[in-house]
This record gives sequence, C-alpha cells and structure tokens, in this order.
Amino acid sequence: MSASWVGGGVPTSPLSTSSLGVGTPTSPSAAPRQTPSQSVPQLAPMRTVGHGVPRIDAVERVTGQAGYTRDLRREGMLFARLLTSPHPHARIVSIDTSRAVALPGVRAIVSHFTHPDIVYSSGSIAGGAQYNDTAKDNTLHKRYMFGNPVRYVGEPVAAVAAVDRHAAEEAARLITVEYEELPFVLDVEEALAPGAPQIWPEGNIGLNGQNQPRPLGGRQGDPEAGFAAAHRILEGRYTTSFAQDAQLEPRSVLAEWEGDKLILHTPTQGISNCRHDNARDLGLEDHQVQVICHYMGGGFGDKNGSYYHDLIAATLARETSTPVKLEVTRKEDWLGTHGRWHTTQDLRVGFTNDGVVTAIQQRAYSGMGPFLRRSGGLSGIDAYACPNVDRQIYPVHTNRTVSGNMRAPSEPQGFFPIQSLMDDVAYAVGMDPVDFALRNMRRPTEQVRFTNYSLEECIARGAELFDWRNRWRPTPGADAGPIKRGAGFAFMMFRSGVGPSSAILRLDGTTGRCTLFVGVTDIGPGAKTTMALIAAEELGASLDQVDVVWGDTDRCPYSVGESGSRTTIMTGYAVVEAARDLKRQIAERGTPGTSEVLIASATPNPSTQGRQRLCFGAHFCEVEVDVQLGHVRVTKFVAVHESGRILNPLPARDQIRGAVLQGISMALKEDLLYDARNGQPLTAGYYGARHLTHLDAPQIEVEFIETDDGFGPFGAKTVGEAGIIHSPTAVGNAIYNAIGRRMKDLPITRARILEALA
Amino acid sequence: MKAFKNWNARSIAMAVDLARQARADGQSVSFAGGGTDLLQLVKDHIPNRPGQGEPDVLVSLKGIDGPSRIEMTTGGGVTIGALATLTAVSESLVVRDRFNAIAEAAAVVATPQIRNVGTVGGNLAQRPWCWYFRNGFPCYKAGGDRCFSAGGENQLHAIFGGGPSYIVHPSDLAPALVAFGATFRIAGSGGERTVSAPDFFVPPRTDAQHENVLADDEVLVGVDVPAPAAGTRSTYHKIMDREAWTHALSSAAVVMQMDGDVCRRASIVLGGVAPIPWRVPEAEALLAGQRVTPELARRVGEVAVTGARPLAKNAYKVPLTRGVVERTVLALASRA
Ligand SMILES: Cc1cc2nc3c(=O)[nH]c(=O)nc-3n(C[C@H](O)[C@H](O)[C@H](O)COP(=O)(O)OP(=O)(O)OC[C@H]3O[C@@H](n4cnc5c(N)ncnc54)[C@H](O)[C@@H]3O)c2cc1C
Repeated sequence: MSASWVGGGVPTSPLSTSSLGVGTPTSPSAAPRQTPSQSVPQLAPMRTVGHGVPRIDAVERVTGQAGYTRDLRREGMLFARLLTSPHPHARIVSIDTSRAVALPGVRAIVSHFTHPDIVYSSGSIAGGAQYNDTAKDNTLHKRYMFGNPVRYVGEPVAAVAAVDRHAAEEAARLITVEYEELPFVLDVEEALAPGAPQIWPEGNIGLNGQNQPRPLGGRQGDPEAGFAAAHRILEGRYTTSFAQDAQLEPRSVLAEWEGDKLILHTPTQGISNCRHDNARDLGLEDHQVQVICHYMGGGFGDKNGSYYHDLIAATLARETSTPVKLEVTRKEDWLGTHGRWHTTQDLRVGFTNDGVVTAIQQRAYSGMGPFLRRSGGLSGIDAYACPNVDRQIYPVHTNRTVSGNMRAPSEPQGFFPIQSLMDDVAYAVGMDPVDFALRNMRRPTEQVRFTNYSLEECIARGAELFDWRNRWRPTPGADAGPIKRGAGFAFMMFRSGVGPSSAILRLDGTTGRCTLFVGVTDIGPGAKTTMALIAAEELGASLDQVDVVWGDTDRCPYSVGESGSRTTIMTGYAVVEAARDLKRQIAERGTPGTSEVLIASATPNPSTQGRQRLCFGAHFCEVEVDVQLGHVRVTKFVAVHESGRILNPLPARDQIRGAVLQGISMALKEDLLYDARNGQPLTAGYYGARHLTHLDAPQIEVEFIETDDGFGPFGAKTVGEAGIIHSPTAVGNAIYNAIGRRMKDLPITRARILEALA
Repeated sequence: MKAFKNWNARSIAMAVDLARQARADGQSVSFAGGGTDLLQLVKDHIPNRPGQGEPDVLVSLKGIDGPSRIEMTTGGGVTIGALATLTAVSESLVVRDRFNAIAEAAAVVATPQIRNVGTVGGNLAQRPWCWYFRNGFPCYKAGGDRCFSAGGENQLHAIFGGGPSYIVHPSDLAPALVAFGATFRIAGSGGERTVSAPDFFVPPRTDAQHENVLADDEVLVGVDVPAPAAGTRSTYHKIMDREAWTHALSSAAVVMQMDGDVCRRASIVLGGVAPIPWRVPEAEALLAGQRVTPELARRVGEVAVTGARPLAKNAYKVPLTRGVVERTVLALASRA
C-alpha cells in the first residue's frame, strides 16, 4: 500500500489498518443495528461525522467553476426553444410552421403533429405514485410530450432547434397555431360541480391506481361515535395556495446521441429514475440512456425524475443528428413545471371539555392541474392520537398549472388547516396550545411501535429556548396599541423510512486513494459531502482521502434520488455497508499493493420490522403585527428537531433554516393568481409570487436533539423536508395570538390582515 | 428575445439624431438608460412605446457624460441628471442633506443591483408594472383599448384617479420630486423644453396609453429641484408586500416647512395608489400653520383618503394609505 490512506495523517484517533478487521467496532455504528434504542439526549461524538465541515465542492461552486447544465456547450450544437399554449384549454386544429422553417438557421421543428405518440409517463400517473411503472402504464390520463388538447397555459405545443437562441426563439414565434378554445375551469369546487368543463372524459377527479375516481383518506375508528361523545365541535374552512418550487436554476437539457445511445445532461434530483423514465418513454433500454447531472441549482421536488424537456431535447437531437440544448425562460419554467398543490379544506373536530379530541373529519380538494403528476394527498391529521377519523381528499383536475411534489409534498398544506383548528380548540377549552398538543399528539402504541419517540423532548426544549410561557398571550389580541405581539406553536412527525440503495467503493493500491461511487446528485443539502463523510467515518479515513464520483448513471450505481428525504438514510446506509465490505476484504486479503485494487459494494435493503421510523420537530414563532399597516414581522423563531444523528451540522442547520423560511414565505407571501375570466396566470416568477427576500428573513434558531435509533447511517434521519412541515402553522398561530383573528387562507397577506381587521 | 441594434450616443443631441434617423428608416426605436426595465420588456415581447413594435434599435444614453451628474445650483437647489444612477442619488450628500425624501425614495427602489444600474430617467419613464401589461395583454398601455384590471384582479391597482386605465405609477422617485416641485428638462427633435412635475405625469383620462408627456422622439435630460425654504424637512415612506425588490403598495412623500413645532407648509404626494403621483391638497391644507399633534396627524390621514374610490379587490389600500400618511406626518414633524 502506498500512502497510508486509512487513518494515516489523521490527527484525531488515527486507525491502524489492522483495526479495520471484521467485527472490530470502529465506532458506535458498528454495534448491531437491529436493536432500536430509546432517545439518548447526549450521543457519544464520532470521529468524522457530526463536526460541521464545509461542502467538498464549495470552492468550485462559489468561484463559478462548477459547470451547471446551462453552462455546457458542444461544438456545433443547436439551441432549442419552446412554443407554449396561451390558452388554459384548447384543441389544436392546425400548426403552420412554414414561416418558421423559412427562417435562416432553423434546423427542426417538432410538435404534436410530428410526434403525437411520445408519452411523458412520469407526468401523469394513476394514483400519482411516482416510482410505479404499472401505474404509469395503466393510467387513462396519458400525458404526451406534446398534448392535444392543451390543458393549461404554458403547456408545450411545439419546439424549434436552430443554430442560435435568437433564431430558435424567433422561429417559435413565427409558428401559427390555430386553436379551438374549450371551456376551462380553475376552481376545485367548480370543477366538481355538475356541468363543469370536463378536462378528461372520466371527469375531473384524479384517478387512483386502479383508474377509479376515489378520494384519498378513509375512515378509522368510529367517527360518528366520536362526534357523539364530544362536548363541543369546532369547524372551519381553510384554503392554501399554490407555491412554485421556485428553485434558482430553471430547466435546461443538453441531449446528444452516440449511435442509438442517448446522453442527457439534465438537472434531475434522481438520475436513476430519470434514466428509467426517459428510456421507457423513448422506447429504449435503460442502458441506452446515460443521465448526467453534476451540479444543480436547487430542486425542491420540481426536478424529481424526468421531465418532458428531456424528451423534447432528445427528439430534436435525434431529428437533427446534432447535440441540442433546450433552454426555457423563468416564466416558462414557473408555469411549465410544477408547484405545491393548492387546497380547499373543510375540517371538523369534536372534543371534550377537558381538551381531548374525540373525532376529526376532513373534506378536502387538492388542485392538481390537468394531470396527476403526484398524489394530491394531505397529512397532518395523522399527527394526532384521536382514534376516530373520517378523511376524504379529492385530487381535482383544473386548467391551472400542474401540481406536484415540493419539499414535504403533502405536509405544510395539510398541517396548516388542522393545526390552526386545533389551536382554536385549545383556546376554546382554555388550554395552553402546548399542553393541548401534549395531550392529543400521536404517540407509539402497543399496535404501532416506533423506532424511537422524541416529540416531547422537542416540544419541551423548544418551549424553554423560546420562553413560551412568557411570550404566549392567554388572551389573543390583548396588546394595546397598533403593534401587537403574539406567539404560536406547531409540531410535526414525518417519515424517515429506510429502504434500498447502492454504493461502490474502490481502494486503489497504486494511488492509495479510495473512490466512492454513489448515484446522488446534489440539489443543495450537500449529499456528495455527506456520502464522503459516511465513508470516511466507517473506514476510519479522513475526508480528503475519499473521492466521490456522483451524478452519472454510467458511472454510479442506483440511488433512490434526492426526494422524500431519503438520500442520506438510504444511500448513506449503502455507503456504510460498502465500507464494511471493504474493511472485510482488507481484513481477509490485506491492503492492496501497487497495481492492485479492491472493489467493495453493497445494496442493502434494511427493514425496521414493522416499526415506524419518524423524525420529530417543534416550532415556536413570535410575530409582531402592525394592525394599522397590516404588516407581519417574525421577531423570533425557534426550531427544535430530532432528525437522528446529525452527520454534518452546517448544512443540516441550513436545511432547517431554509425550510422554515420557505414555510414563512408560504404562510405570508406566495401565490399564483389567475384571472377567472380568461384563465391567464398573472404572477408567475419571483417578482409576482413575492417570495421572501433576504431583508424579510428573520433569525431562525435551530437546535437538534440527537439520537441513534439503530437505523440509517449512524442513526441519521430526515432533515431536508422536516423544517417546512409546520412552520407556516406556527406563523399562523402566532398571528392569531397577536390579533385575535383566525387567518384561514394562505397566504396571510397584508391585504387579508387589513380586511380581517376592517 | 428579438435581436436588436444598440447604438451608443455620445451626446443628447446625437441621441435625438440617431433616433430620428432610425425612425426615418422605418425602424422602431427606444432610448435606453441602464436597461434594467427595458431589456425585460424586450425579452417578454412587450411594447416599450405604446402602439409601436418591439424595438429594432436601442439608442443607449449610458455613455453620455453630462446628464449623469448631480449638482447643487447657485440658488441652493439641485440638478439631477437623467443618467444619474439611483444609487448615486441615494448617496448624494446634497440630496440627502436638503432633499431627504428624494434620497430615501431612491434608496428603497427595487434592489441594490438595480439601483446601481438603473437611472433617474429610466425610473421616471419606466412603464407600469400592472400584471396585465407585463403579461402581454393588449391593454391601453400596450397600445390597446381596454384595461383588464377594472373587472379582474386589481389588488395592486389605483384607488385614486383611475379610469379608463387603473395602473399605479410605479416610480418611487416621482412622488418625492413632485413634493419638492421639481421641473423636468426634455430634449427632442424640436429642441429643449421644460415641464413642471405635475404636468410631466399624465392621468389616463388625458392619455390612457402614456404615463408622461414624453413623445416618442424625446429624451428626459434632467430634473431641477428648487431650493427648499428654510426649516424644510422631508421623508419618503414606502409600504411593500416584502422588504425589497418590489414596487409600492402605497407610499407617501412628505415635505414640511417647520417653524419650531409649527408646520408652515406641507406637501404630501402619494405613490402606489394612482396612475400619477397623487397629491392630496386638502390634507396638506390641514397642516398649514398648525402644531402637529397625533390627533391632527390622524385627521390628515383620514382626509388624505376621503376621495379614494377602491376597486373590488383593493379596498385594503384605503386604511393602509390612511395609516401611512398619519405615521409619516407624525414621524416627520417630531423628528429632531
Ligand atoms: C424587479 C424590479 C423591481 C423594481 N422595483 C422598483 C421599485 O420598487 N420602485 C421603483 O421606483 N422602480 C422599481 N423598478 C424600476 C427600476 O427603478 C427601473 O428599472 C430603473 O430605474 C430603470 O432605469 P434604467 O436606467 O435601467 O431604465 P431603462 O430600463 O433603460 O428604461 C426604462 C424606460 O425608460 C425609458 N427611458 C430610459 N431613460 C430615458 C430617458 N433619459 N429619457 C426618456 N426615456 C427614457 C426607456 O425607453 C424605457 O421605457 C423595478 C425594476 C425591476 C426590474
């Protein structure tokens, strides 16, 4: 072995190669991982993970050296632009491209009429379960690369490839499309009313996996008996708005063909899923598609898997036998990808005078746009212990832009209504909302066990850090003067499930370096760095001895994709296992000499044996509301989370902060406004949607309660999505505490506050 | 975006001349300051001049030296060149010292990046930010014959002086300049002319398509602000949907000539609520010769909005504007 890569030169507890032998515990993680443990307030520190290291690619990124998809160029490549639908619902009668084709520099034009049969399968899925091939095959609501009729403003109608951007864009504008306008519908309830314009022959309710128009949800316990047993019932109607994922980097794709192999450079959160879906849609085998995504400017769910842009660029590249780069404008990206489903929800809660919830009923409509890209589900009610629940959630089709997964897809718009109503219940029975939560929140039971449970600790710690007892007003709106303060609280529990993934480690005896191959991209949380940290920890190496190869389906094994907060848990655990394999090989054969390599790999598929694995969190928010000017200022925000062991505190804290800010933005600002008369969206883009700016961002205090429940890499759980789930609710509850008016519609704008107080 | 030609002018006369030549050749022309607004319109295929096509030629004024200066005049006023950046205005000691509302208005425009590049001329001549206009609707402002906000989404629209167009004037500088009684210097093919601030901005009843008197071939050269009377103080207060990077929902430029704690004269000009900077003379009159008490400030706020005619979805702007005026008047009067 050349340079002492294992442990050598590491000042903190260097490991000798001999300590890498089988069964030799190198860290607490090597203890048998099957035994779930109770939450441990203080975890023993580890060598490499847990110390807060900057991202391994930070310098490339901030110095502009990192090549994002849009930066890529190929000799002689063509530029592609889209023509999108100006109508919310219309049949395309004809497309005349003669003027466009005549423009110098135009190489190809594709549309519904040239390519009517290419299905964009991950764009419309029966039941919305994104990794299910059968549901994609079976859906009655096929979505095509170019659809006819078009069903939302911004749906692609045609695309042009030309020698430069100007020619492509000008040509797109020279295409004449004859439309037959169809009646459209924007509102979820109007869409279900008799006589509503039908977006699909089957009606406007999203179809489940069996193509049936059934609501999500269901019944638990005996809701009628629960309401009968209640001393009182409170109910309310709530609406939550569409929030675009709004990642900085818009879609762009560079497609090139080598023979019958397609190379796609595309910003995707999941290279493996992206490859698979593009292959099936283009009639190729998986191995004929290579997906590469090395740097990405954010995703938030908008970049899950494949998108029709991939298909269009690939088709144009094939037609022209030339590499094609498709670029979209911010507005095209905003309207042509997706955002969080907006909802209208009626809720009822029955409770006893001593503050025990006896029954919950929910009737909800999730606005999905014309396609069921994802489920339309809503969570939040499941965070309560109440045994009697009746939930009906209809995913509804409208002619608005498409909804899909955004950071915790079903959560913030599910939690806001129910936790707003529960806040009202707490006041109604004269209880502090924190005590009310402690009485009613879900806990492990004999029937449903958890790998660990730490919600109480999160709430207690948060209340203490925030000084809840002093900041919360028992009488809402009690402050004198035009500027009123109030405090709000919300809690959550969220999946942290384990599952399959793969990793490969190569120890090269010639260079003495270790290379980790993982199919992650890096949408922001720093997955590359996390994977390297995990490998270094388990191997007893230092971080700079591990190189990472990522973001390329031809070079990396399968990874689940960076969605659902799974990368660290699943792929990270595969890295642990691969490192153990490597250590085993070293123990058996010794370290590789010059010109020798050792290759280790793992594809674990761990199980929690029926136990639920969740992360937990409590948010405490204080606001100042200027009732004369309608202004809301967040003056304090405390977020306490239990996300298992924190592998890298720097990005972990930033993930919580970023998610909380996104939640505050959702609570107070974001919307996509439509003109009901013509179905036109009016506020696409950062200016119109009014996201928070740096000046709007309050200080967010983050604290983690660390645990190791024996699963995931060293006990790590979900971080990325956890912070947005309940932050809008904490803000809304604080506003109520300040002004004594329940704001039931998101966003809680200045206008709505002034109207409520008028 | 459409490919266009960019011609750099070296003098105002040359700019006017270049524009005339291009127009004579049948090309559509626009003057460009920093281009922060103009280029976005070009990218979105929105007409910069109502009724004209997308520009074939941009005549860039950026390279012209003289009109970027900010200078005190001998009489104690200030001359602000149309090519001065908003950052230069907000940082100018002369402006901050004697015309504080103008400096404060410049400082709350958009974002630092836009202020570093955007010019005074471009700020005053910027087209409306009404979402119908900016989304390509064929409204008055694009050369059409309708206002879509009237029966549509009008949360951000005018509560004063609306009809037939209900846009709000987007400039933050404009209310402050009107409050100080500035005059505007304009150059065109026919030579130079000077227009007083209230005459520069045009209400939609007079001309629904344009927001000001600039003809297609005219360039704004500069703004002259007369010397303020002794004891004058001023401020600009802007309310937004967020803390930066957006236009006013409601704003007030207030200039007061104080004599001890008595207000001799006041001018109050509102932004974000009318198609032109909106002066409220009845409210101003209440202050003349008075000691400014909280009670008086409250009445001033009330009187300022008595003429408001909100649309279906912007009634909140009435209490908001009342509050802005009340707070601003009181804060300015009690400033040491
Ligand atoms: C996201 C965003 C937010 C903004 N928010 C605000 C805000 O809060 N408050 C505010 O006041 N403004 C705001 N603006 C507008 C901003 O102030 C202007 O973009 C800027 O001041 C324009 O200056 P410019 O030199 O770049 O003008 P340009 O973009 O070059 O021109 C703008 C317009 O003025 C014309 N023009 C420019 N110079 C002259 C001249 N000398 N004579 C005649 N016509 C001329 C152009 O033809 C064009 O119609 C915002 C802009 C953006 C993009």
